[in-house]
Amino acid sequence: MLQYLLKRLLIFLPTLLVISLLAFGLSKMAPGDPVEQRNRDMGGGLQRELRDADRVYRETSEYLGLDKPVFYLSLSSAAYPDTLYRIFKRDERENLVKLIQLHGNWEAISRYYHAIRKADRGTEQLLGKTEAVRAVRPLIKQLYLAYKDERISSLLDKAASQTAGDSTLQATIGPSVAQLQETYSQLKAQASPGRLYIPDIKWYGFDNQYHNWITDFLTLDFGESFIDSRPVADKMGDALRWTLTMNLLAIFIAYLLSVPIGVFSAVWKDSTFDRVTTLLLFVLYSLPNFWIATMLVVFFTTPEYGMDWFPSLGLGDLPPEAPFWQRFMEAGTHLVLPVFCLAYGALAFISRQVRGGMLNVIRQDYIRTAWAKGLNAQPVIWKHAFSNALFPIITMFASIFPAVFAGSVVIEVIFNIPGMGKLTVDAIFQRDWPVVYTVLMLAAGLTMTGILVADILYAMVDPRVSYGKDKN
Amino acid sequence: MLIGVRKEQELADHLSQQQAPPQSYWSIVRQQFRKNRMAVWSLRVLYLLGFIALFADFIANEKPIYAKLDGESHFPVFRSYAVGLGLDSWEARFFQNSWHEHDYDYVIWAPIPYSAQTMDRKNRNYVAPGDEQDVPSTRFRHWLGTDQLGRDVAAGMIAGTRTAMLVGIVAMSIAALIGIFLGALAGYFGDERFSSSRVRLLFNGIGLILAYFYGFQARAFALNEGTFGWEVLKSLLIIAGIMVLVNVLASWLKRRGIWAQPVTIPLDLGVMRLIEVVNSIPGLLLILSIVAIIEEQSIFYIMVIIGLIGWTGIARFIRAELLRVRNLEYIEAAQALGYSEWRIIARHAIPNALTPVLITIAFGVASAILMEAFLSFLGIGVAAEEVTWGSLLNLARNKFSAWWLAIFPGLAIFVTVTVFNLLGEGLTDALDPRRK
Repeated sequence: MLQYLLKRLLIFLPTLLVISLLAFGLSKMAPGDPVEQRNRDMGGGLQRELRDADRVYRETSEYLGLDKPVFYLSLSSAAYPDTLYRIFKRDERENLVKLIQLHGNWEAISRYYHAIRKADRGTEQLLGKTEAVRAVRPLIKQLYLAYKDERISSLLDKAASQTAGDSTLQATIGPSVAQLQETYSQLKAQASPGRLYIPDIKWYGFDNQYHNWITDFLTLDFGESFIDSRPVADKMGDALRWTLTMNLLAIFIAYLLSVPIGVFSAVWKDSTFDRVTTLLLFVLYSLPNFWIATMLVVFFTTPEYGMDWFPSLGLGDLPPEAPFWQRFMEAGTHLVLPVFCLAYGALAFISRQVRGGMLNVIRQDYIRTAWAKGLNAQPVIWKHAFSNALFPIITMFASIFPAVFAGSVVIEVIFNIPGMGKLTVDAIFQRDWPVVYTVLMLAAGLTMTGILVADILYAMVDPRVSYGKDKN
Repeated sequence: MLIGVRKEQELADHLSQQQAPPQSYWSIVRQQFRKNRMAVWSLRVLYLLGFIALFADFIANEKPIYAKLDGESHFPVFRSYAVGLGLDSWEARFFQNSWHEHDYDYVIWAPIPYSAQTMDRKNRNYVAPGDEQDVPSTRFRHWLGTDQLGRDVAAGMIAGTRTAMLVGIVAMSIAALIGIFLGALAGYFGDERFSSSRVRLLFNGIGLILAYFYGFQARAFALNEGTFGWEVLKSLLIIAGIMVLVNVLASWLKRRGIWAQPVTIPLDLGVMRLIEVVNSIPGLLLILSIVAIIEEQSIFYIMVIIGLIGWTGIARFIRAELLRVRNLEYIEAAQALGYSEWRIIARHAIPNALTPVLITIAFGVASAILMEAFLSFLGIGVAAEEVTWGSLLNLARNKFSAWWLAIFPGLAIFVTVTVFNLLGEGLTDALDPRRK
């Protein structure tokens, strides 16, 4: 048994590895630049000095660890340099990649890029000294993000004619603009797109983004949110409080009702009670919870239809210093509808499973024997039958377990409850990757643990099941 | 080949002589299915839904089906198909004036004379079904009300039916293809029956890397800038070419006896691990993350993604079934006759394992429709102008007094999901051997 357990736990690792790669890969494919976004969100010194912008970008990028290579190795073509990750601005880097894909000679592209940077710095120093620079500077800035030949040529031509039209400009940045034109014509002349078709595997070593994240993760350091710099663990702790309250309450109610319903409708199979409950439960099971939730919100939380019985969305806004009882009531009334929505689905699902499990047991000979002995209904149903029908109930609990943690996206979003589901959805759309990674990994880990726990419980309830030697 | 066919024929003849069953398997199943009244009814509702989805353009359309204008006959609905294909174009007067404004000599409108996107300016801002509506006659009434932009809810429901059916069909087809393929590999070969020469294994490994490189990495610029579908097709052709080349080379080397030692590949283990990985990721969150990184929103991406993660149930069923079937005598007979493994899998093993997959597909369609409805309810992954049941339901959250927006689309989702669930139940019962 212990051996089996160890084996199963070992299998967790490759699965988690695949999921971590998947989550990480997705985050790298996502559009948008987390550094820019963070700088925007943090605001700080709103109108930052322009010359500071680069430094701030670099600092934020270092702070978030995004200035490192992405992965241990990369498969790319020989045309790419292995130091591309050092171009720390994401949109500039992507533009350079496009230039490489078009022309294939990094040396010339690199010279051209440095010429842009030189011209950029030149115009920056002139800011405030002469008005004419205002016309040239945006042209140079646009060069960072231009890759099509016509576009670059027209930008260069415009920059050259603007510079030539003003004597101060001509004296200061004239040479760098000329150098820009020269490096660009060199770039085109020396194009070697053939090198794009030579595969090349590059090794970046262990100091990379993935390695840093996964080692931190394995030591239970989940990192900080990109958005508000709070530790991810703290954010999840807050969210988990509401999710756990809601889900545990809902599952408790669901089990409390569904076990007797399932058992009785199985014992009196084909009775009116059975027919009615089976049909009702089937309908409940098929009712989309986001529909019901929307209907409840529409009809019971607004005065439109004269049934304004429940408070509107969210959890109320009493200050934390309000008396406990008052806060408890406030949260309680806000949770009635969400818990109902969670409970009815679970109720339908669990009752159907309990009924199915009981039906399988009741057909057995030993139950007929128990009846034949003249035993009373109570011991036959609960002792002989139900204890053997516990099977599906136990496995189900293990499968519900991860959902308790991950929360219900549907309900939390509709009722605007700050639980795990809403946290995750918000994180995905704000591209707050540390939170997304953590939730995905923990949810996957918990799902696997749930399945494992179910299997072990299975063996404990039914002695016939063994995971001993005969298992492959 | 010819000998193979004859052998198969002989085998079939021999088998049929041995046992002539009075009833075929399917007729028994059909009989069982008919006994379940709920399932039969849900099948009828499904036919209705399919009919609506197929003829949606003729049920709700702002264009007339037939119109006589200035003595000329027009069939605008039919013609819109030709226009859509680029074979025809509208005369100026048809897009200068809206379809309802022409002075027709004679006209036949669709039962609901609005398209899902038609904005009726006179009936904007949530006109209720029972309200007084500013329409020329009852023929043009909005029977299920309108939304803020004056779009007809009934027309939106019809368009939504088409989307829902399409999601179910496309997503489950993808899932079934992947599931049946991987499940069959795992079940038929198990952990011990699939072996390959070392050289082929090595070459395929290298080939995959090269194929990825030449198919995607080296063509990244073309894929980003060119017509997406066409460039993807080219990439796939390159990949296929590389893989074929590599395998031909490997076969040649193997015949020469270079690295020809066989290696056993535990396919079952690999597929089961893959299923575990896919199952342990929360599906909704995965879909949300993928949709969040796709910049162009389209319902087809959603269908494909749902299909790509929904195959595990089907694969499990097929695997379990093939693990049983592969030891049966008729498979052994086919092996003894020297048929290739792939032929046995495709023509002998899988057809006998397909029935339980129907059940999974029925339930799978229900959950795919539900998933899509929820995503469009959140406004994720659907283009803004696409009208689906979910997007209609979402409108109710902006305007609480518009009860018709909360009830009708939700009811449609509920009915469709229930129909597929009932079908699944009915099939489960009908295919249960204990029930005969």
